[in-house]
Amino acid sequence: MNVYVEAFALVMQKDVLLAILLSAIYGLVVGSLPGLSATMATALLVPVTFYLSPIAAVATIITASAMAIFSGDIPGALLRIPGTPASAAYTDEAYAMTRKGQPELALGIGLWFSALGGIAGTLSLMLLAPPLAEIALSFSTYEYFWLAFLGLMCATLVARSSPVKAIVSMLLGLLVACVGIENPAGTPRFTFGSTDLLGGIEPIPALVGVFAVSEVMRAMMTAEPPKLPHRRFGSILRGQLELTKKYVAPQVRGNIVGIIIGVLPGAGADMAAWVSYSMSKRFSKTPEKFGTGHPEGLIEAGASNNASLASGWVPSLLFGIPGDTITAIAIGVLYMKGLNPGPTLFTERASSMYALYIIFILANIIMIPLGIIMIRIASKVLRAPRSAIMPVIVLLCAVGSFAIGNNLFAVLTVAAFGVFGFVMERNGYPVAAMVLGIVMGTMVEQSFVTSLIKSDGSIWPFFSRPIASILAAMTIAALLWPVFASLLGWWRRSQAQASG
Amino acid sequence: MQLSDRVTGLLVVGLGAAAAYAGSKLPPVPGQQVGPNVFPMVVGIGMVLCGALIALGVGRHFEEEAQADLAAHSDEEAPPPVPWWIAGARLLVPPGLLVFYAVASDFLGFLITAAIMVAVAARALGASWLITVGMAVAAPIFVSLAFGKLLRVPLPPGLLPTPW
Repeated sequence: MNVYVEAFALVMQKDVLLAILLSAIYGLVVGSLPGLSATMATALLVPVTFYLSPIAAVATIITASAMAIFSGDIPGALLRIPGTPASAAYTDEAYAMTRKGQPELALGIGLWFSALGGIAGTLSLMLLAPPLAEIALSFSTYEYFWLAFLGLMCATLVARSSPVKAIVSMLLGLLVACVGIENPAGTPRFTFGSTDLLGGIEPIPALVGVFAVSEVMRAMMTAEPPKLPHRRFGSILRGQLELTKKYVAPQVRGNIVGIIIGVLPGAGADMAAWVSYSMSKRFSKTPEKFGTGHPEGLIEAGASNNASLASGWVPSLLFGIPGDTITAIAIGVLYMKGLNPGPTLFTERASSMYALYIIFILANIIMIPLGIIMIRIASKVLRAPRSAIMPVIVLLCAVGSFAIGNNLFAVLTVAAFGVFGFVMERNGYPVAAMVLGIVMGTMVEQSFVTSLIKSDGSIWPFFSRPIASILAAMTIAALLWPVFASLLGWWRRSQAQASG
Repeated sequence: MQLSDRVTGLLVVGLGAAAAYAGSKLPPVPGQQVGPNVFPMVVGIGMVLCGALIALGVGRHFEEEAQADLAAHSDEEAPPPVPWWIAGARLLVPPGLLVFYAVASDFLGFLITAAIMVAVAARALGASWLITVGMAVAAPIFVSLAFGKLLRVPLPPGLLPTPW
């Protein structure tokens, strides 16, 4: 109980509360602007977190990402343009509701079930993390290797693209992580004689490039989204309690799916929304109503994407394996703030962990009043022309990446990864898998090489320890699944051709 | 920059082969079987294999499914038709401006560099002159107050030092 009091005291600091409030406003605004995603909002926050206390730093990331995922629903419902990719799955449904004259209902569902979903995700984090930490304490490098490898494979499985391309993206990320002298022997590797590359390629500038600069590049290619007509809204939360009672099953299912997808490395809120929306349609008693402004799918997907946010922190905090792209950034901040991820975090820094839970719950509670205000002023915020916002993003990318290490090389890294991310995305190579590779590369290599050194080059101990063998079996299954799936698809098609 | 799978696959094969070769040339740790060379070689070989699969078109139908799904959910408006070189130049504006910052900020100073960056980016996105000038004046001042003053990032003063 003492730890809870301590944690509460940690959160109730003036700077932490102020950080939560400001980052909530920031997250709401950034999330509602089409083309600016929750990941980008987090990436641009990193330089600011350097100057905050550890708890305040983590609080800004948690709050801003939760708000951004909700407020992505606003332009989705009103303009049929998702504010963040996580809202894309149900934009049509929400917009159909607006056309039926119920924009309040669509936005209210987004807000109410996002907040409930976020709290459900937090509960999963509170329940899952301590027992997993217990197990993780007995892990050695063999288990860590398989865990990291499994994480990388999951990221390729869930990518909405060809699994082969996803694997290549991930390998590219691992290759990027090879650069520098941070390797088992301290040999300069792939540095091409450059002193700037000796320290390796920092994950955060790379992430800023991939998620922010390439997004601005994309904006250069597309037409400006239409302006939002001004409108007055009725009560936002009216009817939400009835909907909560009526659609218990979809909501719980959305929460659970979101939590599972959040825990899987590399898969985040956007994936959770896609899966939950299609699941909702499949299990619904009235699937024919989907797409005509029916609340069921909105509830399930809205509950899902926010639940995935909190559970994404489970593998991040326990193993340093990011659950999604947002926590990939957060891990960097955790290290910087001396909160190194690992199972001991829960024993040695227990009060910090509890503080984190409290922040999550607090963020999801203040989401409701702040979200209502945001919805009411959305037409004014969304009036800001894209040609005025995007240049500021470019400037913030430059200043922010410079601020991380006070060197200009980071700015060049951002530019290079911006181009890289843009080209990859255009050609169907998922960038999230590469990001995961960059973040986890050092860990994968270290556990792999250390294990090989310990076993004197034999690979037998990778399979002989009990937990390692289970993880190994899961990893190999994940590796073989795309092969199996394509064989199955090929077989089905040839059957169809034979019969038709 | 939409390339065929054959081209990107072969690029990946080339990069993987180069990585594996360069990795194999790294000096081993004396007296140990595994050193810094193992990991790049494993990654490089993996890239060669996967790149070959991509070039051969394996896994293509997964992408088609995802694309069809996405196309059903969003109707991205086609950008106004412009000559390809203008489109290409516009595309390179954001990374180009970052390179410009890295090169010029020490000499020009933060305020001037930032004003140029914002102005160029705003024009490239089709902003009116009013917005362009307004943003080019306001954004650098705001960012320098937030980062330079509040967060104490050492922004280069250059030709036009900030009065604060």
